Amino acid sequence: MALIDLIEETVVRAPLKGTDKNSVIRELVDALAAAGKILDAETAYLAVLDREAKGSTGLEEGIAVPHGKTISARQLTIAIGVSSDGVEFGSMDGKPAKLLFLILAPPDKAGPHIEALAEIARMSRSKAFCASLAACRSPAEVVSLFKDE
Amino acid sequence: MTRPIRKIMVYVDGSEQSVAAAQYAIVLAKALGAELFALYVVDTRALAELVKSRIFLESEQDEYKRDLEGDASRYLNHVRELARRKGLSVVTEKSSGAVHIEIKAKVAELGIDLLVLGEISQIRSRRDELYNETERAMRTAPCPVLVAKGEDKIWDLYEDLE
Repeated sequence: MALIDLIEETVVRAPLKGTDKNSVIRELVDALAAAGKILDAETAYLAVLDREAKGSTGLEEGIAVPHGKTISARQLTIAIGVSSDGVEFGSMDGKPAKLLFLILAPPDKAGPHIEALAEIARMSRSKAFCASLAACRSPAEVVSLFKDE
Repeated sequence: MTRPIRKIMVYVDGSEQSVAAAQYAIVLAKALGAELFALYVVDTRALAELVKSRIFLESEQDEYKRDLEGDASRYLNHVRELARRKGLSVVTEKSSGAVHIEIKAKVAELGIDLLVLGEISQIRSRRDELYNETERAMRTAPCPVLVAKGEDKIWDLYEDLE
């Protein structure tokens, strides 16, 4: 399944309200719960924090890819967050995360989970595309950018 | 004239589309009297890519590889069961590496006459075209390829099969 098939305005937060790592993760998890993509926000949130505790998913150039396996997700699901000021995420280059891709998948769907993460890994190499995404100020702009891409 | 399709292989990746493809391959194999193979590829290239990009930790790579191995057994067993219900046997194959390369290699190794793939996601960009593994398999397979579309119709065909 292509990433774009999972992206809709209800799972995008642009701009994010949170100002620290845990609060933006929670905001995105709650967005998925509100959109009916996951069954239980708390379980999903803890799964992502558990993964982050092993090592930050903050990459370079303001991108973070928090993810986790949880029975709370019935299928692969993604939320996207854009933070205008950036959030301290323990990233490799020390830069605050401005673009967050939160991915949750059920434990028995490793294939699609990996496929989606690999797609984000490839996308993160396009600095121009990521800069355009980070500049989005509404969910509609984010979705439009993906569709136009 | 010899039968043009004696060996059919379906690629299964755990998606609903690939399960529908498996059902269609069963219908075809039964109708044509062909031998049926099912392949799952543990995508170790994607895993390596995720470690390289630092999305995955080394330990996570091992964990997900085990998950994928589990998925492989589960989905191949599911295809075996789908075939058994219709009185057909299926040879299951599992390999690891880059998906489209493994499919291509297995087609050649087994002498496959027809490769059946699940419906391909809509290609929205040149990059999708380059990276979608099912799309790449379709383009690079050294044999005729059938893309199984229309899950409802396939389901009916499968259910109607004696």
